[in-house]
Amino acid sequence: MGGSFGFGEGVGALIARTSIALAGAALVGALVLTAAGLDLATTWEAIYEGAIGDELAIRNSLLEAVPITITAIGVAIAFRAGLFNLGGQGQIYVGALAAVLVALYLHAPGAVVIAIALVASMLAAGAWGGIAGVLRARLGLSEIITTIMLNFIAFWLVSYLVRGPIQDPEGDGYPYTREIPEPVQLGLIGDVVPVGAVLMLAVGVAAWLLMDRSRFGLKIKALGEGEAASRFAGIAVPRVTIVAMVIAGALGGLGGTASLLGVQHRLSDFFSPGWGFDAVATALIGRGSPIGTLVAGVFIGFLRSGIQTAEGTAEVPAALAQILLGVVVLFLIIANADLVVRLGRRLRQRLARGRGEALERPA
Amino acid sequence: MSDLLDIFTSAALYAAAIRLALPVFFAALGEVFAERSGLVNVGLEGMMLMAAFGGVLGSDLTGSPMMGLLLGLVFALVIAAVQAFVAVNLGGDQIVSGIALNITALGLTAYLSRAIWEGGNVPQVNGFPTLDPPILSDIPILGPILFEQSLFVYIAAVAVAVSWWALTRTAWGLRLRACGEDPRASDSLGIDVIRVRWQTMLICGALAGLGGAFLSLGSLFTFSDAMTGGRGFIALAVVIIASWSPVKAVWASLLFSLCEAFALRVQTSDIELPAELMLALPYVVTLIVYAVIVGRTAMPAALGRTYVRE
Repeated sequence: MGGSFGFGEGVGALIARTSIALAGAALVGALVLTAAGLDLATTWEAIYEGAIGDELAIRNSLLEAVPITITAIGVAIAFRAGLFNLGGQGQIYVGALAAVLVALYLHAPGAVVIAIALVASMLAAGAWGGIAGVLRARLGLSEIITTIMLNFIAFWLVSYLVRGPIQDPEGDGYPYTREIPEPVQLGLIGDVVPVGAVLMLAVGVAAWLLMDRSRFGLKIKALGEGEAASRFAGIAVPRVTIVAMVIAGALGGLGGTASLLGVQHRLSDFFSPGWGFDAVATALIGRGSPIGTLVAGVFIGFLRSGIQTAEGTAEVPAALAQILLGVVVLFLIIANADLVVRLGRRLRQRLARGRGEALERPA
Repeated sequence: MSDLLDIFTSAALYAAAIRLALPVFFAALGEVFAERSGLVNVGLEGMMLMAAFGGVLGSDLTGSPMMGLLLGLVFALVIAAVQAFVAVNLGGDQIVSGIALNITALGLTAYLSRAIWEGGNVPQVNGFPTLDPPILSDIPILGPILFEQSLFVYIAAVAVAVSWWALTRTAWGLRLRACGEDPRASDSLGIDVIRVRWQTMLICGALAGLGGAFLSLGSLFTFSDAMTGGRGFIALAVVIIASWSPVKAVWASLLFSLCEAFALRVQTSDIELPAELMLALPYVVTLIVYAVIVGRTAMPAALGRTYVRE
């Protein structure tokens, strides 16, 4: 199932197409808000204030961005291998499950527990993502379907555990675990920047190194360009497929764990409000580039956090964020569609020719 | 053990399985049309969700479930039209546009349900009742299972027959399948590929819409966020398991729904099995059957490939 979405395009085209798509989405957003009878100026001000109005707003926006962005960078890496990882949701739950078990039951100094929790979550979620990779590489199963099935399986597994074996005994029957001990919680650096944001930045840089500065990154991108050709070039397609899905899964787990240790402090069966799918949209907006995805993720974190705050202050419906995400991606598909790309090329050629003629014409 | 036996020998289990199969089946049948013509439509989930929402909205506004069904179908067809325009006319990435439409539908329905009903408290609406046809429902065992059902079961039975006939016994079906195997060659033979693919995508939208509307108007009589619960993706698996055949899609949908019906009945019985783990069962079974069957079926050769006329 080959696609024509603009993965791996140049920075200029990326910025141009993204700007057009964002403008289109802004227009749709304005229409939705007007239809809901909201005043655009006050709404925008409320969203802006909620996103970056003061230190607290910025901190909350960064916290919102962290799980989505880290998961999205994993989705982006899989994209470049030609794989659609819709399993962020399940990978987040499996990763957070491993981390919460370590955080609750391993008694050691805080830093040690944190380190082990992070590694454990990446291993568990990496294995969970790897299942879809193995099924695709060995049996030819579509990862689009298997990752969704694995999402539901992971969700019900966690749902069972937080209502039974690892439920908080003093939680009045709510489906969540005990709170993780204070030394294991991730705090802030200074007053504004959460530790998770640093983790997010590190993941972005590491992913950039992997994709643009390593031989394995080349193999991933070659696989994404075409399976037959990369097999011909001697690339071990099954191995690259599986490893790409393991990386994607591991980063989903890490994203979930960043929220577990830094924000929520306990695992519940309402732990992830759809971050797995936000991550897919984010990676698409970042066009599969690690840095592009990092930028997109931070932007989406601020947007979501701003809209959430504005729900309280200006009655802006929170679901607006989700609509805007879908619409941006839709506009991006249109901007990258075969026909549109071809039209653009023809237009540019005509413009260039026009300029040439103008030069030749004597004054 | 005897409790388990009771569940498996009760007609209620099989009646519930048929009821639960309907949303998945309708969506899968729609996808068969789209995929046979070469389009892969990952946006089934979004179409179903929009129809489930539109169904409740229409029924709430007019009090008539039939008007609800119509509005639901319109909503699903709007999604289908966007998908067709992007994938067929523009040659955009089919999978990505399906994903984008799913995300948009999720947001749009959540947004609208809060905008329309105070605090997002979606009311119970009039839906389609379970029928009790004379004579047929008096047949022992089979009567309650097959015939004491919603109108949608009868629609489904007609839809299977018509789909099988249209796809395999008509010139239109032949042209449709040709588009899925080799659009360029079909085009050079004078088949209007764009027209055929628009038709199949709209049929897909209408059928997925029937499935979504049944979910809200035929079984739950209300709407809740993301109530489709991945059934659009189950339907994608069903299509492959059924090797793109309308008739086999019936059995493949029933496989999923039988697991779901079993899980739900265990919940209400005295059997000491954790309910949450049982609810994972349908997804586990779908995954396993998919893994066992895939590779033994031949998919349409041009499935998911962009086709734009030179």
